[in-house]
Amino acid sequence: MGSSNKKKKEKKKDFNKAKLKVGKAKAKAANFTDTSFKSKSIVVNQHTLAALDGVDLVGLFKQHLNQAINSKSDKLRQEALVQLTKDLSSKPIFNPVGVPNLLTKLLPLITDSVANVRTNFLKLLRALPPSDVAPHVEKILMYIRGGMTHLSTEIRSDTLSVLDWLIEVCPDETVSCPGGWLKTMNSFSSMLGWNPSVASTLSVKGWTSATKTSLNKVSKKNGEAQAKQITIFAKFLEAGFRPETPLPYDEQRYWDSIYRMPTTPNPFAYMNLWGAQRDEDGEMYPDRISRQQVFERKWRAAIKTGVMGAKQEGGVIGRAASVLDKVLRTAEEGGKKVVEEPKIEEVEEVEA
Amino acid sequence: MPKRKVAALEKVDADLVSLQYKIRRDPKSYAQEFYDQWLAYDAQRQIFISSPSSASSEDNKKFHDLVDLVAHVADLYPDVTAPYFDHLKELLTQHHAVLNPDLREKVVGSLSLLRRKDVIDSTSLLTTLFPILISTPSKSLRSLLYTKIVSDLRESNSKATNHKLNRTIQTVLHNLVTSDRTSTKGMWACRITRELWRRQIWTDARPCDVMKEACLSDNEKVVVGGVRFFLGGDKEREEMEDDSSDEEIDIKKVKHQGTINKKTKKRQKAMEKAMEKIKKQERKKHAPHPLNFSALHLIHDPQGFAEQLFQKHLQNTKCKFSLDNKLLVLQLVTRLVGLHKLTIISLYPWFTKYLTPKQPSVTSFLASLAQATHNHVPPDAIEPLVVKIANEFVSEASAAEVASAGINSIREVALRQPLCMSETLLQDLVMYQKSKDKGVVMAAKGLQSLYREVYPELLQKKFRGKEATMGLKSGEVKRLKFGEEQVESGIEGIELLEKYKEEQRLKKLAEKGEDADGDAKMKDDDDDEDGFNSDEWEVASNDSDSSTGWINVEHSEDEDEGPAAKKQRRDSSTAPDLISDEAMAAAAEANRISKLAMTTILTPADLAKLAELRREAQLDKMTGTVSKRRQELIAKHIEDGVTADDIELPAQIGKKSTKEERVAMAKDGKPAREEHKSTQAIRKSKKEAEGKSSTNKEKARKKNFLMTVGKARAKHKRSLVDTKKRLTAHIARSKSGGRRRNGM
Repeated sequence: MGSSNKKKKEKKKDFNKAKLKVGKAKAKAANFTDTSFKSKSIVVNQHTLAALDGVDLVGLFKQHLNQAINSKSDKLRQEALVQLTKDLSSKPIFNPVGVPNLLTKLLPLITDSVANVRTNFLKLLRALPPSDVAPHVEKILMYIRGGMTHLSTEIRSDTLSVLDWLIEVCPDETVSCPGGWLKTMNSFSSMLGWNPSVASTLSVKGWTSATKTSLNKVSKKNGEAQAKQITIFAKFLEAGFRPETPLPYDEQRYWDSIYRMPTTPNPFAYMNLWGAQRDEDGEMYPDRISRQQVFERKWRAAIKTGVMGAKQEGGVIGRAASVLDKVLRTAEEGGKKVVEEPKIEEVEEVEA
Repeated sequence: MPKRKVAALEKVDADLVSLQYKIRRDPKSYAQEFYDQWLAYDAQRQIFISSPSSASSEDNKKFHDLVDLVAHVADLYPDVTAPYFDHLKELLTQHHAVLNPDLREKVVGSLSLLRRKDVIDSTSLLTTLFPILISTPSKSLRSLLYTKIVSDLRESNSKATNHKLNRTIQTVLHNLVTSDRTSTKGMWACRITRELWRRQIWTDARPCDVMKEACLSDNEKVVVGGVRFFLGGDKEREEMEDDSSDEEIDIKKVKHQGTINKKTKKRQKAMEKAMEKIKKQERKKHAPHPLNFSALHLIHDPQGFAEQLFQKHLQNTKCKFSLDNKLLVLQLVTRLVGLHKLTIISLYPWFTKYLTPKQPSVTSFLASLAQATHNHVPPDAIEPLVVKIANEFVSEASAAEVASAGINSIREVALRQPLCMSETLLQDLVMYQKSKDKGVVMAAKGLQSLYREVYPELLQKKFRGKEATMGLKSGEVKRLKFGEEQVESGIEGIELLEKYKEEQRLKKLAEKGEDADGDAKMKDDDDDEDGFNSDEWEVASNDSDSSTGWINVEHSEDEDEGPAAKKQRRDSSTAPDLISDEAMAAAAEANRISKLAMTTILTPADLAKLAELRREAQLDKMTGTVSKRRQELIAKHIEDGVTADDIELPAQIGKKSTKEERVAMAKDGKPAREEHKSTQAIRKSKKEAEGKSSTNKEKARKKNFLMTVGKARAKHKRSLVDTKKRLTAHIARSKSGGRRRNGM
């Protein structure tokens, strides 16, 4: 009864004539649109409306660059990256903003949440000329370290691919730039769960010690990821322990190095004249001997135990671990040589 | 558009929060994860530091999140996060100008979080934040830092006063004010000190010293900040205290609700909370009142301070402060002069040029002059000023308001130094009570009644009045010479207290109706007899022979004062036979004083009662009805200064107020009524606004008719037996608590 009455009234309501009253505002129409609101930003659905014929290429490049970072849609970001890669790999290379600007803008994409964007970014990096990348290795490594210990395992593994590329392109700079050796090693060990400092901070007293927990669930995929980690770690160590080949004597270069202005950016980086004071981890280890020494002192024991464990697991991980083991062994032999060599020199000096 | 599926990865990306939750639940198991994030934080920090000004928004956000995570779990991994505080400190001190506002806020928040988790101590936090507070150009950051600093100081002083920290901060503030006297940075010292003074966290002389230095600064803003503190800081403090004890809980109501309402855990908790609060309030009520001195009393070397203030900001012709601010400084100087009875002779001639009716806000000047007068000021210094006021303000030709203000200000001055007046001038002024304007009449009468009390010889005989004439004859009323002090012998009003105590004791005995139990019982009751919780005070025993171990020390002062009082009286009186009489009376009085003052040690509660009794006695002494204004005057503390309102007040008398004023006065303090509504409706809407539900009666009235009609019909059709059953059940139910049980 009650409800049906109500419904009847509601039905009638539409056809009742609205009474106008003095001093009251007129009722709003049913199709009234409120335009009184204000908005701080306007969302545009389509990003480009202009036709692309005959526009300036520099502007277009910059637009792609902005899109690659700022666009909310992953598709757009990805496409922009593809375009940029195309430009960079064209002959001659078309890069109006220069590699430093390009890198500072795009590097945050290492930890982008979308996998396709990350892979396309790696493609873009591969398109960059190695000589231009060399001065920016330190900065790239910072981002890589940030990504290596990221929460998501996929971002971690993609970041490793970037590191792989970096080792390929400029191995010496990678291991010798400030923080490049010890800090990267720190990230690696943390990634693999071989970090002794974590265990020491915990001061576990019970008879169990669960080093591997939660986020890295053991699975087939995970195993492959770990194998990849170990392989790239091996590459990294190999780059660090690679015996330096002395450059053949060139008189011109010799005198240039003494009297000419240096051609490389920041040639006295090892002195750290203007930067903040570095600690042991952040220090640069420019030559093989210093790298080897600091590795022996800080990391050998921890990594050896880690490798032993990984080897016992067998499978993909085991194979990767044996590669790493080999690298370590050759390094050890090389290290012995290194240690022996100065002895000979000392003897000579004594003789002299 | 269909809802886009969120990929697992994207979810993980923003999951630092859940990681934080997990870490806090089980820090040992998640050490590895934390260490990973620590490394990520470190890398992100380096990215940021390598180019702080041009960091991208992505990087900023990532860094923001990681800083947040580390701050929340820093206490769980002290070894790993040892350098964290230094990182944040460095970040803030070096880059606070270029930091992204969100990130900046997060860093400040993380620092105070570390403090709350006791990872760092207050000193290191405050020494980090304070320099930035002073130097940063950002307003939002300043306000954030200010709140953080104040709240941290409050927090660290909450359990017990942290003297060490307070001293450090006070020294910092002092240095801030004194290091550069021209800069506005001193404002921060003023603000912080004032806030902490208001909250009674700082109550000693050191903050006063900081404010004193602020008053002597060269910057106008800082000076005003300091001066305002001394003029209003204590009042603010009292108001704050009143506010905090305002919200009272009705314990009866709470208990009653507990019996009626359904018993839930939530209600029980609320009840416990209320009880706890009541207990706290009770404890606070009985606790001894903190002896907080006013800031004006804590100033070290008030004479030097007042002189410096006067010379620097008022006498100095190069000082370009605005008139309002000069008036504030003047108020402070004169207040100090009046309160501490200082002598600054050059202050009085300085007033001369400001005492004309055309001077803006002249009433403030007049009030300040009255404030600056006390009985140690030589009458020669004030007399010309009084004459000037009389000449400039008080004449038949001047407006009534001006004349009344003039006479009133002269009265205020004369109240403090009666010797400032010549006979002819007084006679002239007193004659104004024949004026037509009520304000002028009141002011003139006030002056007359004042002189009747303090110096009746100066008045013409016909204006002296009965009491003063009689007093003059008997020698009771006598004027004090310049520099003479009225010396109190012993404790003023002690006999009142004694009498009161005796009365209380008798009353108690009468109530008991038996005193056969002997002295032992009386002794026990002694403590309670006071009526004002002297059990909080250890000393309350009235018996000199009690074995409590308290030794009654005979006050040497009391002994000295007896004869001194005698001597004075002998000098003043003329009749020889009066001497012996008075001497005997004085001796008797001295005896009596020693009895109470020597056998007991007065507790603060006693002293409070004493002050109250004294006030009452003073009121009683006055014949006839005592006006409200008179009562206020008596109740007014000597420390409260004279304000411009006091001077302007008589001019308001007899003025008809306009209708708007009357309406506003009537409406004052009543609930707002926007539209015409019944009282019921207003009450109902108020109840609704408070979130209370309607009554059962109201619900019954509103119930749909169709829902009740069935039952009503059934009731008609009931048999008599049935009806009886129902009625008996109803009675039984109402006897057993009024609730239906299952099946009834």
